[in-house]
Amino acid sequence: MLKWIQQFFKTFLLIELLKGMAVTGRHLFLPKLTIQYPEQHTPMSPRFRGLHAQRRYENGEERCIACKLCEAACPALAIHIESAQREDGTRRTTRYDIDLTKCIFCGYCEEACPVDAIVETHIFAYHGEKRGDLYYTKEMLLAVGDQYEAEIARNKAADAKYR
Amino acid sequence: MPLVTIDNKEIEVPAGTSVIEAAQQLGIYIPHFCYHKKLSIAASCRMCLVEVEKAPKPLPACATPVADGMKVKTRSQYAIDAQKGVMEFLLINHPLDCPICDQGGECQLQDIAVGYGGVESRYAEAKRVVSEKDLGPLVATDMTRCIHCSRCVRFGQEIAGQMELGMPGRGEHVEVMPFLESQVNNELSGNIIDLCPVGALTSKPFRYHARGWELSRRLGVSPHDSLGSNLTVQVKDGRVQRVLPADNEAVNEGWLSDRDRFAYQGLYADDRLTVPMIKDNGRWIEVDWATALAQAAGALRVLKETHGGDALGFVASPAATVEELHLLQKLARSLGSSQIESHPLERSAGRGQARWLGMPVAKVNTLDRILLVGSTLRSEQPLLAARVRAAVKASAELSILHAANDTQNCAVANAVIAAPSQWLAALTEIEQALKGASASAEAQAIAASLKSGANKAVVLGAVAQIHPQADALHTKAAAIAAACGATLGFLPVGANSVGAAVVKAQSGDVFAAPRKGYVLLGLEPELDCVDGAAAMQALATAECVVGLTAYKGRAPEYATVLLPIAPWAENEGGLVNMEGRLQTFNAATRCQGEARPAWKVLRVLGNQFGLEGCDFDTVAAVRAEALPDGWLEGLNNAAPAVDLGAAVAGAIEWLAETPIYAVDAVTRRASALQATAMAAAPVATANASLLARLGGKTTLRVRQAGLAVELAVRQDDRLADGVLRIAAGHPHTVSLGARMGVLEVEA
Amino acid sequence: MDQIQTLLGPAWLPVWTLVKIMVIVLPLLIGVAYLTYAERKIIGYMQIRIGPNRVGPKGWLQPIADALKLMFKEIVIPTGASKSVFILAPVLALAPALAAWAVIPFGDTLVLADLDASLLYVMAITSMGVYGVILAGWASNSKYAFLGAMRSAAQIVSYEIAMGFALVGVLMAAQSLNLGDIVRAQQGGFWHWYFLPLFPMFLVYLIAILAETNRSPFDVAEGESEIVAGFHVDYSGMAFAVFFLAEYANMILVSAMTSLMFLGGWLSPVPFLPDGLFWLLAKTSFILFLFLWFRATFPRYRYDQIMRLGWKVLIPVTLVWLLVEGAVMQTSLGRFFH
Repeated sequence: MLKWIQQFFKTFLLIELLKGMAVTGRHLFLPKLTIQYPEQHTPMSPRFRGLHAQRRYENGEERCIACKLCEAACPALAIHIESAQREDGTRRTTRYDIDLTKCIFCGYCEEACPVDAIVETHIFAYHGEKRGDLYYTKEMLLAVGDQYEAEIARNKAADAKYR
Repeated sequence: MPLVTIDNKEIEVPAGTSVIEAAQQLGIYIPHFCYHKKLSIAASCRMCLVEVEKAPKPLPACATPVADGMKVKTRSQYAIDAQKGVMEFLLINHPLDCPICDQGGECQLQDIAVGYGGVESRYAEAKRVVSEKDLGPLVATDMTRCIHCSRCVRFGQEIAGQMELGMPGRGEHVEVMPFLESQVNNELSGNIIDLCPVGALTSKPFRYHARGWELSRRLGVSPHDSLGSNLTVQVKDGRVQRVLPADNEAVNEGWLSDRDRFAYQGLYADDRLTVPMIKDNGRWIEVDWATALAQAAGALRVLKETHGGDALGFVASPAATVEELHLLQKLARSLGSSQIESHPLERSAGRGQARWLGMPVAKVNTLDRILLVGSTLRSEQPLLAARVRAAVKASAELSILHAANDTQNCAVANAVIAAPSQWLAALTEIEQALKGASASAEAQAIAASLKSGANKAVVLGAVAQIHPQADALHTKAAAIAAACGATLGFLPVGANSVGAAVVKAQSGDVFAAPRKGYVLLGLEPELDCVDGAAAMQALATAECVVGLTAYKGRAPEYATVLLPIAPWAENEGGLVNMEGRLQTFNAATRCQGEARPAWKVLRVLGNQFGLEGCDFDTVAAVRAEALPDGWLEGLNNAAPAVDLGAAVAGAIEWLAETPIYAVDAVTRRASALQATAMAAAPVATANASLLARLGGKTTLRVRQAGLAVELAVRQDDRLADGVLRIAAGHPHTVSLGARMGVLEVEA
Repeated sequence: MDQIQTLLGPAWLPVWTLVKIMVIVLPLLIGVAYLTYAERKIIGYMQIRIGPNRVGPKGWLQPIADALKLMFKEIVIPTGASKSVFILAPVLALAPALAAWAVIPFGDTLVLADLDASLLYVMAITSMGVYGVILAGWASNSKYAFLGAMRSAAQIVSYEIAMGFALVGVLMAAQSLNLGDIVRAQQGGFWHWYFLPLFPMFLVYLIAILAETNRSPFDVAEGESEIVAGFHVDYSGMAFAVFFLAEYANMILVSAMTSLMFLGGWLSPVPFLPDGLFWLLAKTSFILFLFLWFRATFPRYRYDQIMRLGWKVLIPVTLVWLLVEGAVMQTSLGRFFH
């Protein structure tokens, strides 16, 4: 009976609602968390998974050996590889395409790569104006790698001890 | 029979069965590398170690015969430790370069290492490196990966009969290698790629092209010889990437000849015809199908109306499918033509006869006595040669009659080596010897051999069928077979020679008297006919030549309309092999460009002529009409009733065989096969005495009926005297005219 | 002024009325625009973010940009839609929201039409708004829109009763239907305002107007997580903007009504400060702030819970309080309500 009365007053005095409004009311005055994106940036993990890149060795030789493990690991079937023997007898890709519109940026390709050839960089602010612009070919991926090699190597080194 | 217990399951197996086989019957898998059911036991890899109760140490399951009451444990801790230890040893010198290894993903070592190996290696020292070996253009090597299972060595010794690989050295110095300065050249060498459990031996044409998991597998039938090997055609991106055998004990026993395995490269030759073309005022223009078909039908109709049906000749490759040949003969007959040729590499009055092996292929292994007449067996039927070898190993006696005493892959009991013109006489002697009359020593020996033994066969090969006295040889061979109670058999030349005769797509030589118009189906007449020069002559004078072909080749020289048809992997249909087995197959890939399966082209061509009963929707419907119930009774090896006649003997006789890698248009364009020693440019070979008579020159100018060819000369004392062996079916020797003829040598 | 009056002659009255209407409607529409801005800002702040801040200083021009965007967008009319009704529906929604303002007194004499039955007029006109919603849902020929419309109709009908009863309490106390008289009846400081004696009615009225304007937590007619956008799912461009305007104009209207009914309208809370329009705006703004605060706080009610609350809680509460009020008014304590 006492409980029933308690419940009655609790309901009709809208106690729970006022509690809720107190929470939101308090938040009205809390400091805001918004990051003003183009001017400010959030800190990034060295494991951030953004735009893909193909790396080269220091002597300029591409790392990729066309083992196709990334293609096999890719859950979105975004990677397409064709391989052949190069004139010097080594195993190389003749085609290495990543369809970024299919890619889900899971990082399995990077995980699968035995030679650290395919990596995901910190770049996330890229765009294409046509669907085809986001179909990255081997040349484009290598160009990304060439441009950001220093940063990629730094991130790889930072993460190496946790691997 | 001993009763054994494996992993607590009991089984009774015949004495002598190995533990691994008994386990297999129970569905228990024991990891292994060197064991192979078709090869001898080496017990060299030690991967199949199992625990046997009361045995003092783990025993190799492949080399341990079962004993009554034996108790085997394959997954006890003891066995697991033993297997793990073996795997650690195997991986010590294995480079673990799986990412760049073509075997990656389909590698037994990978699978078994994951399933039965440890997690870490304790080996930190330097690994062994083995120098690469050059095994020729078909097999790529990475010998550092070898785990010395010796399967490839045993295959050469036991199946192929050519010991081209050996394993010298001991311990760490053991290496698989070919003999110095030589390669692996036998016609079955590709099988060592399949046998190799690691990536030491891989396919060179396929090297680095695809991974096993990317390939879709489709079944196929080989069109390159009349055995009809079953294939697994592996396709990626609409392109045949490689060909592997499909298991069929009755046909190819899981093996594949190199010709069947590597010919697929020819599908992507540069001169593939992919668009219909017509000749317009001497210029070739690409047109659509409707135009090309209308042009072809119109031209043929005009010829038929002005000159009658027999003015049209129809020629097909003996590798064309049953359905194509049926539609072709239907078309020919409806146009009133009786000029149909589908056995262009045979010389026989009775070529319409469906001559076959006379027995199931599998029975060859059980033969006791074999007489092989005019057959270069290893290049004609490489896998049948392996079966003959198996029979000989199991105590059969092989006798041969040929113009060349070539290296066989097995022991030859008796051989009569004579010029082709002497063959009929040689057979007559054998027949007389069988009847007890006096004869030469060799004939007596062969007769004696044929008299004994239970399962006997007299088999006529391709050379006997293209021989100028082919019918007489047939008659004599039939007489010998009858005299000794042997089966008479033929080795049909084309993949569907039997089927072609069954569907009656054969009436005679259409090039002997030139026709006004020709329809060609899937062959290159200059290379695929008894007399290529005469064929080209006839085609050059014809008014209209409709070429249904997959390749341009020399067709633009003589054709007026070119219709692109699908070659083997893109085609569908059925082939009847040498034992009368109908094997059907579907297209493994899509047709290139505008090419279409020939049966569809012929069907539409039939519609153009308003041909009744030509509205087939499926290839199966065509097949049902082509091969009505009871078609197998059409197989017939009976001797034709012909006058034996006299041989045309000359001073120099031409032994004109088709080389192993020149049998059809696809094979001739397979680049890796063409790079092998067996596809080298033709030379003239003769024995020492003939060479001496010819003046010991290094090049000869050889001539027949006004046509001449210049060739290098080699000595080969295995040839009969008076025989000049020059490969036919090669562009260089086309102009030598009719095969097996009498040659003149210009001074 | 007199000169203009003589110049126009008989046309003076309509022109002068039009001018007065414009004086009410234009600030109202600007108010609507900046109410959307305020909503985004306030809810943003309550969610510890900062809301629009890119268009103009501090995002002040954001509503203008939104309006421009909506104006230039195409009005897509679905092929299966009933075209004329589809176009008519947003107009039907907006018109009552604006028409009701005719009788709202902004000061003692500041009123467009001083009707004696102005409360009745407001009740009648605002009830019209639901037709816009129902017709929009029906005309779109879409199952989502139709569901939204049905929910809206049932909900508005249910809460109309509770709201009406709450207002009956007010008019019993004020003994007038004239909004100006109701305000004047609350004169003498905030302790004379009706929200104190009629506190349960005040709460019921607050809840009912949330439901009447389809605002969170009673926004099942839109219910974007269940029926996409409810009745206006197929509207775009300016047609959508008109629904938007109607919703916010309604919010301002009912807030103003609340201030008039329960919070003493333009009256100052304490006697020593002067009365004036400022007080009405301040009170209305406070109620509007409550609207936004509720939206930032409460999750959406389930449909059956809305029905239960309306019929089984709010109506009985108002009935009981009407009885209490009526009874008390017959006793000497009746002063309490004046």
